[in-house]
Order: sequence, then C-alpha cells, then structure tokens
Amino acid sequence: MPDRAEPLLEQVAALAADLGPALAPVGQLELLRSITSAARELFAAAACSLALLDEAQETLTFHVASGAGAEAVVGQRVPVDRGIAGWVVSSGQPVAVADVARDPRFAAEVAEATGYVPRSVLAMPLQTERELLGVIELLDQRADAPAGRRDMELLGLFAGQAALAIETSRVFSSLGQALFQAVGAAAGGDRDLASALDELARRSPGPTAELAELAAVFARLGQAGAAERAAATRLVREFLAYAGGNGRPA
Amino acid sequence: MKPAWSWQFEAGRLAPATPLPLPSPITADWAWGGSRGAGVRVAVVDSGIDAAHPAVGAVAGGVALHYDPDAPDQVRAVDGPHEDLFGHGTACAGIIRSLAPEAELYSVRVLGARLTGKGMVFAAGLRWAIANRMQVVNLSLSTGKRDYFAVFHELVDQAYFARVMLVCAVNNVSGPTYPSQYASVFSVAANEATDPYRFDYNPAPPVEFGAPGIDIEVPWLGGSTIRATGNSFAAPHIAGLVARILGQHPDLTPFQVKTILLSLASNAAPPGGPDGDRHLLLR
Repeated sequence: MPDRAEPLLEQVAALAADLGPALAPVGQLELLRSITSAARELFAAAACSLALLDEAQETLTFHVASGAGAEAVVGQRVPVDRGIAGWVVSSGQPVAVADVARDPRFAAEVAEATGYVPRSVLAMPLQTERELLGVIELLDQRADAPAGRRDMELLGLFAGQAALAIETSRVFSSLGQALFQAVGAAAGGDRDLASALDELARRSPGPTAELAELAAVFARLGQAGAAERAAATRLVREFLAYAGGNGRPA
Repeated sequence: MKPAWSWQFEAGRLAPATPLPLPSPITADWAWGGSRGAGVRVAVVDSGIDAAHPAVGAVAGGVALHYDPDAPDQVRAVDGPHEDLFGHGTACAGIIRSLAPEAELYSVRVLGARLTGKGMVFAAGLRWAIANRMQVVNLSLSTGKRDYFAVFHELVDQAYFARVMLVCAVNNVSGPTYPSQYASVFSVAANEATDPYRFDYNPAPPVEFGAPGIDIEVPWLGGSTIRATGNSFAAPHIAGLVARILGQHPDLTPFQVKTILLSLASNAAPPGGPDGDRHLLLR
C-alpha cells in the first residue's frame, strides 16, 4: 500500500468509528432490555439479567436486568472464577440450580451484593461461533408455572439473539476496525495488502465517547419526524455559527 | 426445566436401538457386575475437585492449568492439589464416584481467573489427560469457537487411538461445539431418568447418549449438595459407567465400550424381543 494513503485511511477509520453508533439500527441497551423483559415474561421468572465480559475477560458486569432486585443488580461486577454465572461463562455450558441458597458462598456473596437471594437460577452463556460475550440469567421461575418442555433450549434461542445483537452493535461501535478487517478479508490472495490492512485494523481507534454520543443523538433524530429534524438542523447551525463567531451572535 | 437435546430422550420419542445379534446377549452382569471401577484412571477436566467433600473421597492427583503468555505453548501447569473454584468439578467427581466408587479420580483444572486463552488451556487439559494415560475423561465443558475445530479434532483422534474414552456433555447452542461434536467421543445430554443406571442410546446422533441430568442432587462447594439441571451432570453418569466397565474389561477400545453401552441402553430392543430394562436387574 502506498505510504501516503495511510494517513487518509486512518482518518477514514477514525471518522467511521465515531459515526458508527449513528448507523446502528437500534440502541444495544434497548435491545438487551427488550430481550431480558421478554424472557422474564415468557418463562414466568421473578427476574432476568444479562452480564457481559469486560475486555480483560476477567469480570462479568451486569448491564441490564428486569424484575425483582433489578436496580441493585445493574452495574454489579463479578469475577469469572466464582459463582454460577462464572462457571457458565467459563465452561460454555448452561446450568440450572433449584436451590442456590444451599451453596453457602454463593448465597452470602449474592445477598451482600444485591440484598436479594433467589431460590433458583437458570444461567446460559451468550456466545456466537466467533466469540464469547457473557451470560443471561433467569431467577426464580414460578414453581406453579407449567414446566416448559424445552426451557433451556428456548432460553438458548434468546441467548443466541442477544449474542448476535451485541456482536452487531459492537461492529458499529468499532466500525473503523471492522472496515479494515472486511477489506483485508476481501483482499484475500494479496497477502501484503491483507496484512497491511490487518495492521491498520489493530491500530485504528475506537470511537471517542463524545462524538459517538453525538452520533447516537443524530441517529435518534433521524427516526423523528421531518419537522423535528428541520428544527434540530436549524438549532445546530445556529449553535455552530455562534461557536464559530467566538460567542458573538451571527 | 430441560436442557436442550433432552427432547430426543423423552418417552415415546426415542427410537429403539438395535444391539448386535450375539448368540448370548451382553448383560449388565457381564459388563460391569463385579466391578467398582478399581484401578481405572478417570480425569475430570473442569473447575477442580474438592477432595474433602464426603461424596468424593480421595483424589489421586491432578494439575491446574493457567493461560500465561510467557509459558511454553502459553499454558502454565501446576501439579498437585488445588481447590474447586465453582463446585462443578466436585459435582462431576461425586457422580462418577457414586457409580465407580473405587476409580482413581484425577482433577484437571482448566478454569480460572480469566477467560483469555481459555480454548488453549482447555486443549492443554485434554493433552495432559492423554499424556498421563487417563482411561476415562469427563468433559462437561465445550467451546463453540470455530478456531478450535482443528485443535480438538486432532486431540480427540489421539485419544481414540490411545483408548482414552472422552465423555462430553453436549451444549445447547445452535451451532456445533467442540469436542462434543466429534463422532469418536461419548456425547451426552440429560434424559428424564432419576435412576442413575438408566441411560439411553440415541440412534439418530450427533448426541449419542442420554443419562440423568434433570433436577438431580449433586455435591457442591463446602461439603454441600444442590439440586441442579444440565447436560454437564449427565456426562459424568456415563463416565462413571464406562469406568466400571473398564474395571471389569481393562483393554476395551472406545468402539467396544460404545457397543456395550448400546446393548444395555434402556431403549435397546434386541431382535429376540422387548427386553429393555435388563440393565435394571443388576447394579
């Protein structure tokens, strides 16, 4: 690849990364919320929560929860070498435990963290064939609910949907890297070009938080009506003119 | 609550399995009747084993493996005793022990404080089990990452040729998972049975065996027991039986052991007539 193309490509990647969140079809959080609340309803559970692995792959962080104890659960972090969620994400195998309180360590830790100790837990890994993302948990399925014939399989389908949604949304938020990886894969036979693009993918930045947020705001505006969009555009232009004029009205 | 794949083992769904039409049929007495699994080396590749749990008894040895970018092959091995991080390895060990009380249990801990390099550590655990001449290996874990297809395929073939029986819990994700996917392993999902000796042979794999794994009482951390569900608890039931069979017939190959299990499965329907529950006659 010619040297002078590199700075330009890096700028394109940075721009793509910053604007990626605006292109995402739906907000990741909204999607995950709808998945957990649908799962909770369908399985007649007291609560459903979803935790994702951090970048170092050492901790699970609960991002969304629906139902009992939900507020206390969101934001909780648990190491991957403890507890039922930890085992599930480590082993890649789902597990259901009918009486978690009999695991003394688990009960104490959960009670301390959330003030709510469930009787039962069904936990399922979130994974695609490319990566392991986290875990989805159902707490206290109602005992009088008819036992689902294939509960684990059904929750597995939910987990599959959630995993794909998370993966997609991550592609949008690291669009710069994704671009280079895609072009690199397309370059196929040309190993020099492919490895140059690979290297660029490694170096290309993630989105800067402010610009990504701004991009997300614009994405939501895009879903609003034409009049709202026109009004917002006017406002932004006014603001830019104001800022450009060093605080003096245009 | 039923784990995926278990539907195949529901009453009325499971097709009969046809054993070899031998002049005198294989019986449970012949297969494992006099055996308590004595001298059979069984590895539990999992989260560690709590040797102090009353349901487990002695652990003969083992190794804890960790991802370490500076180590050769990026995996560091620490020989000797280690704790069970989760309780799951203890559960598997307890189930195996309940079926084969005199088997030698080895703990191969492959789970740890981070998931980076998890597949490599898992593969190293399997490699350790083969190199240390384990005869039965319980693998209640799996990976769905396609990157590991070839790595595990090679190891599973090595195990097969070395007469190491790999007993693998199947996962419930829609795609294939390794190593439960390969034909030479004993792949297991939970059936509806509560009798630990009641297992099924599925004539329409990829999942070959059904064994108890729904709402069963298993050993857990700190000497406790819990009631749990998962294919990961079904696999050690088959591992325990395989250990008993090997206690009685030490030199069998994986395909011979599968033949014996098929003959004694609850849905085995020999040409001579319905005789499905023969396995219950003798413990």
